[in-house]
Amino acid sequence: MDSSNLSSIRMGTGDLAKYPFLNEAGEYLRESGFGWEELERPDMKDVIDRAAERVEVEVSGNIYDKLDRYEIEILTFLVSLIMVKSIGMESVLRKFTLAEARRAEKFLTEDLKRQNEMQKRSLFAKIFDDLFKLKIEISEDGRLLKVKVPDYLARSSHFHEQEWKLINRLVHNGYVYLDVDETVRLVRNELSVLIYEKIRMMTLPTLPQAIKVKADDLRSKLAPRYEYRVTAVTEYPPCVKHALEVMGRGENLPHSARVMLATYMLAIRKPVDQIVMMYENAPDFNEKITRYQVEHLAGMKGSRTKYSVPSCDKLRNENLCFAIAECNGIINPIQFGRKRK
Amino acid sequence: MTQSALAKTISAVRSAFRGYYFKPNMIETPDMIEQREFGYMQFAQVGMVRHLSFNSMKELTATIIKEAPADIYCSNAYYRFPTYPMQEKQWLGADLIFDIDGKDLHLPCVSSHSYFVCANCGRASASAPDEKKGYPCQLCSGKELDSVSIPCANCIDGSKKEVKHLIEFLTGDLGMKQGAIQVYFSGNNGFHVHISDGAYARLDPQARSDLVGYISGAGLMAESVGVRKRNAENLFLIKFPKSGLAYGWRARVADKLKIKSSSIIKLKHIVEQRGGYTPFKVDVDRMARDMGVRIDPQVTTDVHRVFRMPGTLNSKSGLVKMKCGDLDSFDPLVEACLLGDNKVSVRVKTSVKLKLKNKSFNISKESAELPAYAAVYLICKRLAEAN
Ligand code: SF4
Ligand SMILES: [Zn+2]
Ligand SMILES: [Zn+2]
Repeated sequence: MDSSNLSSIRMGTGDLAKYPFLNEAGEYLRESGFGWEELERPDMKDVIDRAAERVEVEVSGNIYDKLDRYEIEILTFLVSLIMVKSIGMESVLRKFTLAEARRAEKFLTEDLKRQNEMQKRSLFAKIFDDLFKLKIEISEDGRLLKVKVPDYLARSSHFHEQEWKLINRLVHNGYVYLDVDETVRLVRNELSVLIYEKIRMMTLPTLPQAIKVKADDLRSKLAPRYEYRVTAVTEYPPCVKHALEVMGRGENLPHSARVMLATYMLAIRKPVDQIVMMYENAPDFNEKITRYQVEHLAGMKGSRTKYSVPSCDKLRNENLCFAIAECNGIINPIQFGRKRK
Repeated sequence: MTQSALAKTISAVRSAFRGYYFKPNMIETPDMIEQREFGYMQFAQVGMVRHLSFNSMKELTATIIKEAPADIYCSNAYYRFPTYPMQEKQWLGADLIFDIDGKDLHLPCVSSHSYFVCANCGRASASAPDEKKGYPCQLCSGKELDSVSIPCANCIDGSKKEVKHLIEFLTGDLGMKQGAIQVYFSGNNGFHVHISDGAYARLDPQARSDLVGYISGAGLMAESVGVRKRNAENLFLIKFPKSGLAYGWRARVADKLKIKSSSIIKLKHIVEQRGGYTPFKVDVDRMARDMGVRIDPQVTTDVHRVFRMPGTLNSKSGLVKMKCGDLDSFDPLVEACLLGDNKVSVRVKTSVKLKLKNKSFNISKESAELPAYAAVYLICKRLAEAN
């Protein structure tokens, strides 16, 4: 398809409100003559309140889905980025970006299901191709979408549900066939990385007073919940590292991987409290249940048997092994890094 | 082996190897040579000399001729700084490689050409060790025996079949171009299949492991062919996936079961016959694994591995790892057997039969004068030493 032609298709303000991370959203604001001073105006109070609400809702794991006034929501997004940046806490940033990604994912799915082929192609060109370098084509019979196998693998292999394994997909002649939900799901992580990077790269102007007050407010509200929970993931074996990364992204980790992670951490004598907090980002996190499970594995509860770390063989069978050269010659993750001088 | 016999044996093999490397243009030049990591093993020394880098084949060949190594390796990966320690190399990508090893195929002929060599004293024998006695060596009562195989024509054919099976997956399901697929004889008892496709080169170990699962038929769910689990044990319902059963694994299994994505009643009947969801699921999994290709998963998922270089000698056999032109007619025991035929006198540890360069050797005497290629082959297999 001729993407140079398609990228000249202008996105409407509705699209920009749904996908405010697109560069066009910034351009739109610039063209409409928006400046920072504007935010001091009393009628901007609504935007600032909405932005604070957006941050709060999303940090608690929900999606902010107001979309009644397009221009306002484009601004709200921008102001919420500023707030998150000035709160300056890593876990707030991570939760916010994750929820923003889910939000965009929701709109994207709806749009792709509703639109005609031409409109679809323009969204593909704008979002998938421009932002993620992912070429999406429409299947021969027009019912499905298809992506190249390596493009699929590069993304899907970080998901853990069995149905995302290539073998459980329809694969033909170098392409993987997907429906709209699946296609959009494929880029969720990239969406959140994109928003994450946007915030990280931002340089804050001197904040308008109204925003500063709100941001300080939010910080003192959120700080006790999220501070000091950063786990260093450096010298762990790849399988453990991988499990921590999946957790960090707030994705679901299979039960066997959770067991592996906990038994490993117990074996290196991490305190139970710290281990429990490693699961904090799991979508189904419940502190009480997690604590019980960890204590159970530690032999402090229930059967009182202490569980050992599963062997590399076992992990390999469960597709949880991501061996690197340094894994040569070890049979249990616990030996990782120990045999070396 | 006595010290002097060992020294003599090593020097015989080494000089045969060096003679080979003196011939021009034997080694295939890897693309992006400056970005690769090289390594080699020396005779009778443990551990690999690694993290080497060469800017040209000339530099590499000079080192090879000087050292006459036992085995020479090159990374499938390319790095910004190939000589740095692993963590600092900066990985840029790695060729996708598949390894098909004859010994993983468990062919019935293997026991007829296997030998057992004591890991301690090197005593060799054709008779299978007594498992119950815990393998004691009759000479030194060492407990560890290595099994050594002299692949026969049937072994080679078995591996070739597996290679063709792999190529079907690569060109069919995965849509790769024939020209992107290079098949190499490994130099001993198998094949390496190298893929030159930039899009695959950037994939990380997880993505490669998923690809391995696909090709080897591991992890196919009953749901993928339309059988879904219901809450209660063994209950199921039929719901075909939206994308149908027309291609890939779904088509393979559907063909086996003789169903189409309209055969709801037929499939329901099949599952019931099998005894419900769980047994059917087990069945699907087994079926897929049987139809998959037997590749070594570790080799393909490792993106920091070094691989034997095409055109170099394999110290397990003295044969060359080399590109196969036409796979069907390729005979490694002729085409990859490239050492000279000057006579070398050897002491053979056990009576042995082999065929190299279309010449059959049936050796039952202890001392023999053999052409270098055959002498080196037996020495590399640890069934002989220099006399
Ligand atoms: S080899 Fe063992 S330690 Fe290394 S990644 Fe695999 S399971 Fe983990
Ligand atoms: Zn012995
Ligand atoms: Zn055989």
